[in-house]
Amino acid sequence: MSGLFSKLKGASSGPTSPGSAASPSTKHKKDAEPEPEITPLQKMLQNAGPIREDGSDKFFGMENFGNTCYCNSMVQALYFSVPFRENVVRYPPLSPNGTPNGQPKIVVPIRAPVQNGGASPAAKAKGLSAAEAMKRRAAINAGQPVPPGPGQRPEDKPDSPEYKKKHAMLAGPVLEMTYDNASAYGMEESTFTALKDIFMALVASTSRSGVLSPQRFLEIFKRDNEMFRTSMHQDAHEFYGLVLNAVINNVEANAQRRKELEAGRKDNALSSSINAAVASAASAIGLNGGTRSPGTGWVHEIFEGVLTSETKCLTCETASQRDETFLDLSIDLEEHSSVTSCLRKFSAEEMLCERNKFHCDNCGGLQEAEKRMKIKRLPKILALHLKRFKYTEDMTRLQKLFHRVVYPYHLRMFNTTDDADDPDRLYELYAVVVHIGGNAYHGHYVSVIKTKDRGWLLFDDEMVEPVDKHYVKNFFGDKPGQACAYVLFYQETTVEAMRKEQEAEGLAEAALASQEADLALGNPLNGNSLATPSKAAVTPITPPDDQNEFVSLNTVISNPLPTSPEIAPKPAPGTLTHASTLPILPQPEAEKRKSKEERAREQKENKEAEKARKVAAKAAEKEKAKEAEKKRKELEQKRKDYQRHQDEEVKKVIQLSKTTAAEEEQKRKATPDAGNGGPITNEADSQEKDKLFGRTTLSRSHKGSKSLGRKSFGFLSKSGEKEKFIAKHEKISEKDKQTQNTENGQDTTAKDEQPAVDIDAPHTGQKGEKPKDGRFSFSGLGRKKSGMFSSS
Amino acid sequence: MFVLPPPPRYPSQAAYNLAVANGQAAPMIETNNILSHPTGPEYQLVVGEGTYILKDDLHLATPPPHPSETPIINPNPLATNPQPATGGTRVSLLSLSSRAEPPSLFRVGTNKSIRSGIQASIQESPNEGRPSADIAPSSDAGTSLSGSSKPLRSLGSAPAFGEGNAMLLGPSRDAGKRRKPKNNIAKSNSSFISRCIVHENMAKRVNEHPVEGYFAFANINRAFQWLDLSSPQMADHLTKILFTKGHCLCHDINQVTKSMSHIDLIMGFSTGEIIWFEPISQKYTRLNKNGIINSTPVSEIRWIPGSENLFLAAHMDGSLIVYDKEKDDAAFSPEENGQQTNGHSTSDDSVDQVTPKLHVDKSVHSKNQKVNPVSFWKLSNQRINAFAFSPDNRHIAVVSEDGTLRIIDYLKEQLLDIYSSYYGGFLCVCWSPDGKYVLTGGQDDLVSIWSVAESTIVARCQGHQSWVTAVCFDPWRCDDRNYRFGSVGEDCRLLLWDFNVGMLHRPKASSARNRGSISSRLTNTLQRAETQNTTPSRLRSNSSISADCEDDHTIEHPVEPRATTAMLPPVMSKVIDPDPLCWLRFTEDTIITSCKSGHIRTWDRPKDVATERKTG
Repeated sequence: MSGLFSKLKGASSGPTSPGSAASPSTKHKKDAEPEPEITPLQKMLQNAGPIREDGSDKFFGMENFGNTCYCNSMVQALYFSVPFRENVVRYPPLSPNGTPNGQPKIVVPIRAPVQNGGASPAAKAKGLSAAEAMKRRAAINAGQPVPPGPGQRPEDKPDSPEYKKKHAMLAGPVLEMTYDNASAYGMEESTFTALKDIFMALVASTSRSGVLSPQRFLEIFKRDNEMFRTSMHQDAHEFYGLVLNAVINNVEANAQRRKELEAGRKDNALSSSINAAVASAASAIGLNGGTRSPGTGWVHEIFEGVLTSETKCLTCETASQRDETFLDLSIDLEEHSSVTSCLRKFSAEEMLCERNKFHCDNCGGLQEAEKRMKIKRLPKILALHLKRFKYTEDMTRLQKLFHRVVYPYHLRMFNTTDDADDPDRLYELYAVVVHIGGNAYHGHYVSVIKTKDRGWLLFDDEMVEPVDKHYVKNFFGDKPGQACAYVLFYQETTVEAMRKEQEAEGLAEAALASQEADLALGNPLNGNSLATPSKAAVTPITPPDDQNEFVSLNTVISNPLPTSPEIAPKPAPGTLTHASTLPILPQPEAEKRKSKEERAREQKENKEAEKARKVAAKAAEKEKAKEAEKKRKELEQKRKDYQRHQDEEVKKVIQLSKTTAAEEEQKRKATPDAGNGGPITNEADSQEKDKLFGRTTLSRSHKGSKSLGRKSFGFLSKSGEKEKFIAKHEKISEKDKQTQNTENGQDTTAKDEQPAVDIDAPHTGQKGEKPKDGRFSFSGLGRKKSGMFSSS
Repeated sequence: MFVLPPPPRYPSQAAYNLAVANGQAAPMIETNNILSHPTGPEYQLVVGEGTYILKDDLHLATPPPHPSETPIINPNPLATNPQPATGGTRVSLLSLSSRAEPPSLFRVGTNKSIRSGIQASIQESPNEGRPSADIAPSSDAGTSLSGSSKPLRSLGSAPAFGEGNAMLLGPSRDAGKRRKPKNNIAKSNSSFISRCIVHENMAKRVNEHPVEGYFAFANINRAFQWLDLSSPQMADHLTKILFTKGHCLCHDINQVTKSMSHIDLIMGFSTGEIIWFEPISQKYTRLNKNGIINSTPVSEIRWIPGSENLFLAAHMDGSLIVYDKEKDDAAFSPEENGQQTNGHSTSDDSVDQVTPKLHVDKSVHSKNQKVNPVSFWKLSNQRINAFAFSPDNRHIAVVSEDGTLRIIDYLKEQLLDIYSSYYGGFLCVCWSPDGKYVLTGGQDDLVSIWSVAESTIVARCQGHQSWVTAVCFDPWRCDDRNYRFGSVGEDCRLLLWDFNVGMLHRPKASSARNRGSISSRLTNTLQRAETQNTTPSRLRSNSSISADCEDDHTIEHPVEPRATTAMLPPVMSKVIDPDPLCWLRFTEDTIITSCKSGHIRTWDRPKDVATERKTG
């Protein structure tokens, strides 16, 4: 087959992209490189600078132990979720074992290279040879006739993923994640510690590429999750949910444990008594679970958003609201729709009727109602789960929906509540987890991930390959091959960042385009684009003696953001692009010059006459144009002025609110002294409440939190009067906390100032505050409600 | 006549994949177009003015791949090799009568009667090659803030593109005789053209074609067909050209030179190549051969209004290139800007302002005009998805994959405005018949209405359930205050919208306040800021404004937040095709749509209204 390709290639003029299929052989022919095993990834990484500390330049494949691709694809996506990675690496802030820098030294065992390239021992141990697994996977691509020639195994074909995976394993290094480092983190071994082990190993690795073998992680995960113990195909989204919740629980549990330890060590009677009070309070309510301590809410902070479900009883017209938190949104799909539209459907009004009636507190009884879900707080990372698996009519089997659902590179949410903070937040797509296969019980997962400065990469178990940006659009669901996007990860970004990236990206694309002369790029118009050739296919074509300039361009190709500052995204399209786009031929230059001379004479004469004729007209025209231009400018200036004015106003308002906040805080500081006589000090009170609410966060079920709110009031006070007082205080104490965190103690106005962009700014004011947001709206509903409670 | 089997849809056909993957010869079935007339409520569009009824559904046959250039089909769904490019079927309509021209609103305010103005017919002036467009009063109505019903337009026409550059003038020749391309397409042995099938009675059919009827040129996959939409045998193509592997993605007919004996058609290909084709004599010329000037696919191609020879092609690397159909190609390298003419108006302000937003690599005023390109502008490095000429023939609106809409004064080669989509790329663009508004459609599922005069977004139109792939005004239902337009999208839907400047529905937050003017809108946001919260993004975008518009001409407009932009609902929304739609046009009597798999559907306008239709 590759022979055919090369023939084709020879026939066509100019450099074709022969597809990844032909690349190895062509490369051989063309640039006679002695190193045959250089992969596109390695090529891309060739002239990278020093290894970074944050792990953003580690591109490791992950070994598949037989249908563990659900894990591999998700863990890759999580690793490249920058805030998540950073927090996982950072989390137990200081190891109690006294490692000086808090980070235990990691020595990752590296598997000895296997010479024959056969099945790895690990895979064998699982009762499945690598080759077998690969074959199985090949068979999974049902509908795809995989045509193995007689006696030819799929991994023998150089263009097959099997071949590439085998060679990735051979090339190594293979990081054996068989150990656990939990004690070094001062934690019990858990999903979190195992995940952290993986991340730490990657960050610490001295190689940029290789394969990671996540054995221990899978063992722990399977230990904790019974359903995943088989070697069957599993649902990646389910895995994602379990991992995130496990991480939340592990972190909270750890925090709780350490708190207890600390409490035990402390001999301060007061604090211990407070702690005891807290504990008793907690047990009184009958809730177990971790307490919230500072620094544990990061998972929430990154992935968690708040949904408000508004239910309107059709009988009494009473509207009620309930907040729920989410770590991802599962959206129903429709044929020929977009993610935007599916999200809108998600928030569309829904009738609760017949069996599904709503229990109205007001009229007391099941009533028909209208319900709609809107997003009240947008998460930093928005994970969208496309519900591609649906039960068949008879509910016996899950079938896969091959609907064509398009997803844009950038997204904003239409379905936010009116009072949502930053409802126009811009998201960018950075990871797509793709399911390949005909139904929910078989198939394969891969992920396509945008990395910080290496463009988009395809992570297919052991293999990592750079791909073109347009490649991402291959998984809308309408392409042959049954590959569909299953989970989409969007992260917040800004318009400026987007533009900057686009500029750099365009450079790369232009350079790429220039190299593939007559190749049809994907679908130009309607975005149902077809794959554009990957760099993998294109890079080898460059003749080796094509100046260094080209080489560096090659690296740029793969990077939306070039690594080296020299090629930094300074918008210099003229110079850089054209130098590469168009071969400068000396001939036309000469011709041009000649003709210029010739023409100069003609021109002069012409010009003379013309000038005279036109000057008058031109002058008039020019004036008019200038006028118009001036008008335009003025108009724009006006707009700008208004905007500036507005900015100033906003700033003023913010300033004002800040000062009032400060005043209030002072007042507040004064209050506890005054109210010291009470049985529970205000401080303790607030602390206690803090705990209570912290717990509600953990439970993740909001019903609980609401009723809990009531309970807590009941627990703390009896009279309605007092309750009001406490509610007020609680609000203040919340504010107090908020002020500590954010300095934006005031209500919404002050939030303006918050930079929604800073992904890793530690003070977004949402830290651990989710339930309080709920609280806010709750109390915001007015006294009516709290009055209702007190009377009941 | 026996009927051939329905056309295979090979891109998704398992049998085809199988055959190719196994190395067998792909099934080579050349099939015919199929004409059907489905009826029923699902083929009717009910709008306020009446019911549109599907008249014809013409399904173009998708050709099988070329035997020697079969696409490499990799069974691996993750394979990164390219597949054949298809942009969906687009149609160029040609009517030889002047009657079929839409009523030109743009001329409402001028002295000319609307119907009498026969569109730029052949001029016998020495300037004949490039007549200045008679359709074009000047554009400075653009700056009026009033948006009043009375068009404020000064008289005088827009100059022709590149006017003043003597080098652009071709040798004068007999005006009555059109120059034809060089090569005969039927006898071509070009490696680019596979074959050309001409209907046996083509000449007769062309002669019998009613003058008010429409010819259509349509691309599907690697085929390009010439159809007669007014004929009962419309399924039989007049001419069908099969290319080897280049796919025609866009095409346009020159409205200046069209006549019963001559049609100038220009086609842009996925390989970057361009073909000038004259269907009546079956002659063609290749331009940008082998991508010598630009090798990226051509996403949109249009004749420059009023010009006989010049056309503008948008290449996917973000270049806009003007070619002359009769000039030869030469490898192109950017000219230095200082090389531009010194005495003329355009150059003095564009010489030193090389903005990164519009880079004039070769000006139309360049002295070197012996060969193509005539001019070469680089907008960005992002793929250009579409562009449209303004009715006053001064501006182009260009939309790209990076989600920007650029308004360019192409006569002066200046970039005036940059607007941004709400999110995602823009896919299509068009102007209102009076040139006041620009419509865009894109990956945010929205149709956006922009006011060129007020440099702002007017409304976002929400109703599509997927990306919007084509937008078009219905000039027969537009007057100077009310506009009807349609849009089609990947959701297989056709949506119709009525838009009236005064009746815009403001979002809740600001509905109470008066609309339209800038000041009120800004107060809105201000009040919002005081009462609740402004979005940080708003503050951010403001900062971007001040940073970016230091440049003299270009104004970069930030994204308007949702809360302050009017939303417009559609008046009609209907799934009209099983496949995603990609093209839409209104004619006097019909709406014509096309989809990615090659269905060209013609919808008759409501009958009663058609008879009542105003004649003026």
